[in-house]
Amino acid sequence: MEKAPAKKTAKVDQKTKIITGYVEYVLEHGKQPASVFKFAKELKMKEEEFYTYFTSFESIKSAVWAKLFDDTIENLESQEVYKEYSAREKFLGFLFTLVEELKKNRSYLLSLYGGNKGIKNILPTEAKTFRHKFKDFANEIILEGKETEEIASRPIISDRYDEALWLQVWFVFQFWIKDSSPSFEKTDAAIEKSVNLAFDLMGKSAIDSFIDFAKFLYQNK
Amino acid sequence: MESKVKEQQSIPTSKVQRAAKFISTGAKVGSNYMKHYAKKVVNPSMTKEELHTNNATDIYNSLSELKGSALKVAQMMSMDKNILPRAYQDKFTMAQYSAPPLSYPLVVKTFQKYFGKSPEQIYDTFTRSAVNAASIGQVHQAIQNGKKLAVKIQYPGVADSVSSDLKLVRPFALRLLNMNEKELDHYMAEVEEKLLEETDYVLEVQRSKEISSACSHIEDLVFPTYYENLSSDRIITMDWIEGKHIKEWLETNPTQEQKNRIGQALWDFYHHQVHNLMQVHADPHPGNFIIQNNDKLGIIDFGCVKVIPEDFYKGYFSLIKRELLINEDELNEIFYGLEFISDKDTAEEKVYFKNIFKDMISLLGKPFHVETFDFADNSYFEQIFQLGDRISNDKMFRKSRQARGSRHGLYINRTYFGIYNLLNQLEANIVTTKPEWLK
Repeated sequence: MEKAPAKKTAKVDQKTKIITGYVEYVLEHGKQPASVFKFAKELKMKEEEFYTYFTSFESIKSAVWAKLFDDTIENLESQEVYKEYSAREKFLGFLFTLVEELKKNRSYLLSLYGGNKGIKNILPTEAKTFRHKFKDFANEIILEGKETEEIASRPIISDRYDEALWLQVWFVFQFWIKDSSPSFEKTDAAIEKSVNLAFDLMGKSAIDSFIDFAKFLYQNK
Repeated sequence: MESKVKEQQSIPTSKVQRAAKFISTGAKVGSNYMKHYAKKVVNPSMTKEELHTNNATDIYNSLSELKGSALKVAQMMSMDKNILPRAYQDKFTMAQYSAPPLSYPLVVKTFQKYFGKSPEQIYDTFTRSAVNAASIGQVHQAIQNGKKLAVKIQYPGVADSVSSDLKLVRPFALRLLNMNEKELDHYMAEVEEKLLEETDYVLEVQRSKEISSACSHIEDLVFPTYYENLSSDRIITMDWIEGKHIKEWLETNPTQEQKNRIGQALWDFYHHQVHNLMQVHADPHPGNFIIQNNDKLGIIDFGCVKVIPEDFYKGYFSLIKRELLINEDELNEIFYGLEFISDKDTAEEKVYFKNIFKDMISLLGKPFHVETFDFADNSYFEQIFQLGDRISNDKMFRKSRQARGSRHGLYINRTYFGIYNLLNQLEANIVTTKPEWLK
């Protein structure tokens, strides 16, 4: 989150103002505000005005996540070489860039999700928008991977690949939150390793040949 | 491994994962032994060779997947040819050439971390996949202003895993090297220190510049230029050295004269470092030498540099003086100084080990005792291997709970074994120069 240059341009950026205000509050107090009323007061805003933009703190957190995603994609697409990447490399690139974006907000994320509290239950609500956006992105990659035959099409399972990649993003996030190695090198290795595993599993492998063979034997016995 | 190098499948990083890797290797080695004895029941004529081959394959596979310091240890064991059974050697020598590469996005990320730019923004061209794998990093080729460059990138987390890797390698080293634990710990500290140094790319650039400028006067040597502004903790940029590795070069059937010339350059290079600079490129494995079309020897990779302490230097090299082998008192003093024998030894042990070391020294010092030495002489190397085999199979030697030899000797020995081996490969006839005080 950049520091809001928005204060004077008023109305249009009320939304950004609320988000930035919220992030700053969390950073300074190490927890979220006690109530929307108190928070609105601090922003010199009426409570009902707050509700025109957000309905709860959850929805702000969700917006923060969405912004993290947008920044990641923007950064990623600004890298020229990105277009030439294979599906596997695109996903690797996404995670590496995501971690960079997360790093800029580590204190905020730590005070909300550090320790073991809450990390499980933010999955459904707060990260909803993030998840939607990510799934669109992931499906694009998967589609591309199928075209280039990096990813094997399999009945039923291959429709769930986006879900698997999402779980992986979540794994990386949790790993990174707990990572204490210098400049998060362990997270880099974790990304490299887990993505390679995922894509090896999704790619055509011995299992496919085995199933094919088993099917053949079954049909011809 | 001759086939195409597989893209990096996985780098096990956490200690548990790495440990698991080793355990699975241990299990495989165990089952190889079982298979061996099972087969032997059926076919009593079976030799241990096959068993060693199986073990070496499994251990190598596991080590090369681990990369980093484990691979480094594999390399090191393959250097000391005389302490490993032949089958292990061949397998391990492969570790000196190839390990699977890292993904390109991670390379980009590393660049962004240190320079805030992608490789394409820095260089005019940059190869997407690695052209070469080093043990703790990989090499890409780049072009800038029409100049070919080699860009070395370190794997993330290598520095972190050095210590835990060595702990994991320990049981294997014990088994393979036939050493007792005390002896091993005595050297492990030295190895760890050197490996940690090797992960420090800033230090490497500094040393490369230092040594290459100090050796620039030696004939037939070529050093790459290092670019500090394009190097960092994890990245080194230097000139690309065009040419062939020793094995490939030998396939082009060079004349004896050419071989002698290259060999002599190698000898002079080490002579100057050891006796004048007192610090030495301690990694003479074939991958670090490149022979150019004009028969000049290119030297790369100053990751492993051993600084030789004065005391050690005096003791170690006065041993190669020929007539010294007769002077008992002087010899005793040096043996104590180099920790070959100590007061903890019994009188019987003292005599026994003094004799062993005398044998070793007179053999290893042989090239120094003459004006020119023909390293093509395989019978000389056969003698060294035999002595090594004889000693390591000797009950008295294996029983000893004492660590023998100064820790500094580890890398110096390794360096000299390395040079001898390279010169043997080259079949070179060398003017074995020695410093004034040893003549």
